[in-house]
Amino acid sequence: MVIVKRKELSFAERLYLPEIFRALSLTFRNMFQREITRQYPEEPLPKTEVTRGQPRLVELEEGSLACVSCGLCEAACPAYAITIDGGETENFIEREPKLFEIDMLRCILCGFCEEACPKDAIFMSDELELAGFTRKGLVYGIDKLRRPRAALQKRIDYVYRINDRWRNSSSTH
Amino acid sequence: MTVTLVTLLKILVIYGGLINVAALMTLAERKVSAWMQFRIGPNRVGPWGVLQPLADGVKFIFKEEFTPEGANKFLFRIAPMLSAVPAMLTVAVLPLAGDIAIPKLGTFDLPFFGPTELGGITTNLSITDLDISVLFVLAVSGLSIYGIILGGWASNSKYSLLGALRASAQMISYELTLMLSLLSIVVMTGSLDLREIATSQATIGQWHIWTQPLAFILFVVATFAETNRHPFDFAECEPELVGGFHTEYSSMKFALFFMGEYCAMAVMSGLTVTFFLGGFGVPFWPDAPWFVELPAFLAKTAFFLFLFIWVRWTLPRFRFDQLMGLSWKWLLNLALFNLFLTGLASALGWF
Repeated sequence: MVIVKRKELSFAERLYLPEIFRALSLTFRNMFQREITRQYPEEPLPKTEVTRGQPRLVELEEGSLACVSCGLCEAACPAYAITIDGGETENFIEREPKLFEIDMLRCILCGFCEEACPKDAIFMSDELELAGFTRKGLVYGIDKLRRPRAALQKRIDYVYRINDRWRNSSSTH
Repeated sequence: MTVTLVTLLKILVIYGGLINVAALMTLAERKVSAWMQFRIGPNRVGPWGVLQPLADGVKFIFKEEFTPEGANKFLFRIAPMLSAVPAMLTVAVLPLAGDIAIPKLGTFDLPFFGPTELGGITTNLSITDLDISVLFVLAVSGLSIYGIILGGWASNSKYSLLGALRASAQMISYELTLMLSLLSIVVMTGSLDLREIATSQATIGQWHIWTQPLAFILFVVATFAETNRHPFDFAECEPELVGGFHTEYSSMKFALFFMGEYCAMAVMSGLTVTFFLGGFGVPFWPDAPWFVELPAFLAKTAFFLFLFIWVRWTLPRFRFDQLMGLSWKWLLNLALFNLFLTGLASALGWF
């Protein structure tokens, strides 16, 4: 059992009016404080290397995708957002995706695809804004997903560094 | 002829002004609340969001007018008007400024009336000067509760009815305090004419806030309850009753309730100024011209309008039994005691 000791109120506090004036003075002083509102579209959130936005496919220097359509990210995706159909090419890397779709409405930006990828082909970019007029339009295909490697470099470096740290500290290694 | 024209002009200016004040108050409410909570508030429509009331008006006009099933159509329609009209009516007797001398403008050939001489009269800035304007104000502002009760009852909804019930109980309780606190002023000035009450406080030392501080506090508290404002807004009470009596209202009907509330606030602030802060009197300038008196009156009124907003964003809502207890156990008794003291002092000839 807990016995709650109520605070004994002084006469001024029981009169209530002085306390009202104290509260009023507080809110009046607050009026002249600096606003902490961020006016979002004009003042975007700061983006750091840790920012985990929507996944994007890495495009190599010669213009082809790094993806070999192994399907590991498709399997790792907990939201079933990824659909891949693979095909063969004449390039040095013999496989490339014919179809690579991410349903951005299903994607939960967890980053499992990035972790699963053995070819460093998919990374979480810092792009966060998502809007569209139809659900179909928010299923992104290769044309909307491909980004030159340089655009994702910050995130790629970060992932490498974190993985290195993990490898060095792992006791099983 | 001139008198009629001048009266028409005064009606246009004063009612237009009142409705604009109500519109600006909706903006001020949002702006001040934002500043008090470290926010910016509406800032997209026009510079600093000053055109926000216009955008709100357009939105209200284009919204669907919804009447709930089982509602009493006639009463449902008439309730917003009954709520807004009394609040706007009371402004007719508010003395906004002293005498205005209109010079002779010459003779004009008007259609239907023939050659008419215009100008050359002295008028004052209130739509009408009743001898019993205090009674008029109290009687008419008391009517606005009908709009709330009918609106709550006619919408065929539990929340609306509860809000209306609470509002009626609260209004009846606080009207007593309101009137009794005013009676002591009436005893002191010996007049029921608002203009006379205002002019009797010519210098700043004669303001009734100094002679009747208790009545002033009681009156201000009662106006908060009368206009259904925080901390006494039990008629609306969003967290408990969704929206209280106007839960089922939408579109311009809702806007009318809203406008009625803000007009009532403006009128009540004007009354507080007239009764306790010397009305349109300018401090330290007894014979000020009307174009100085009017801004003085508006400035004093603006302070009380700000107080309404200020208190709303400072104090939490009462509990309903606390509200009734405060009214019947404290405010009413204090008002009666104050009236007794004033009457005693008056009988002994102290003022």
